[in-house]
Amino acid sequence: MKLTVNGQAHEVDVEDDMPLLWLLRDELGVTGVKYGCGIAQCGACTVHVDGMAVRSCQVPAAAVDGAEVTTIEGLGTPDALHAVQAAWIDQQVAQCGYCQSGQIMQAADLLDRIPDPTDEEIDRAMSGNLCRCGTYPRIRAAVKLAATKLQEA
Amino acid sequence: MKRYLTALTLAVAMLTTPVLAEGEHGLTVTAPDPVNVSRSAGLAAWDRLHEVFVHPRCANCHVDAEGVPMWTGPSYGAPGPHGMAIVAGESRIGAETLPCQTCHVTSTQPNTVAHAAPHTGMEWQLAPVEFQWVGKSPQDICAQVRDPDRNGGRDGAGLVEHILHDAAETGFITWGFNPGGGREPAPGDLQSHLDDTIAWVAAGMPCPEDGQ
Repeated sequence: MKLTVNGQAHEVDVEDDMPLLWLLRDELGVTGVKYGCGIAQCGACTVHVDGMAVRSCQVPAAAVDGAEVTTIEGLGTPDALHAVQAAWIDQQVAQCGYCQSGQIMQAADLLDRIPDPTDEEIDRAMSGNLCRCGTYPRIRAAVKLAATKLQEA
Repeated sequence: MKRYLTALTLAVAMLTTPVLAEGEHGLTVTAPDPVNVSRSAGLAAWDRLHEVFVHPRCANCHVDAEGVPMWTGPSYGAPGPHGMAIVAGESRIGAETLPCQTCHVTSTQPNTVAHAAPHTGMEWQLAPVEFQWVGKSPQDICAQVRDPDRNGGRDGAGLVEHILHDAAETGFITWGFNPGGGREPAPGDLQSHLDDTIAWVAAGMPCPEDGQ
């Protein structure tokens, strides 16, 4: 099967039911995406498939044949960070950092759909992404900052 | 009664044509035995249908306009609001903030993992608010199911076709009887649910509190 990951075309030979998470990490070595729970209860494995945030632990490989996948590595670059990544640094969101790749991918998806979200909209969109360090106030602040920067751009 | 039987016979004839050939949905469509098409037989079939509709496996996504799904899993006990403060919104698919499909992928593969977000061959969503079952009386639900203004424009034959289409797509009705992952299924099985629907439709879709 073929798929594009962060702009690069790949052809892989995997079982149809292999989770996209394993395809990315074990087959392609894209390890920015994290394994947290494996059952869509934590959000650590969030990536974009054809522009939509999904939990990659739940997506079977068969469903991404021909798809465009974006992970945290493809959202921005160190020289040209995505606004959410920049806001994450500005607000010093991360504590242990394990959940942040999923958090950032979910937040980027939110701002694609709702450029100026309210606190309630942020909470609703981000509530499926768990942070065991409890950095939620900083996550919300970073999302609001990123929204402002994106609208200024 | 006669017109329902005629309509149903026509519907069954239509449904066995290649539009949905048997094998695609894996179910047997059997015209009812006219001897059994009595109001009491129809009400008995309705009782079984109602038992399915209000089972948490089915009712959990038939919630009110607030759009908060319920969930019941192997370890969650009685039905309660979906964790993670999920709200499916007016769209009923979570489009306003967090789409259901973020976690509930669309796939016909079996649900095998306990506690994982379940999936079907149809895009995950709440039922339309007109089809709310949680908190509704049996009479309310019965009146709703037979009302084309609230059931998606379906007559009796349309209700039968709805089940066959769902089976062909491995949709929500089909999943409810085989949810996998240690989840408690809806009572009965898909074939008996189809049989009961056919029997209820053939009896004129009676509801318990209708006048005699």
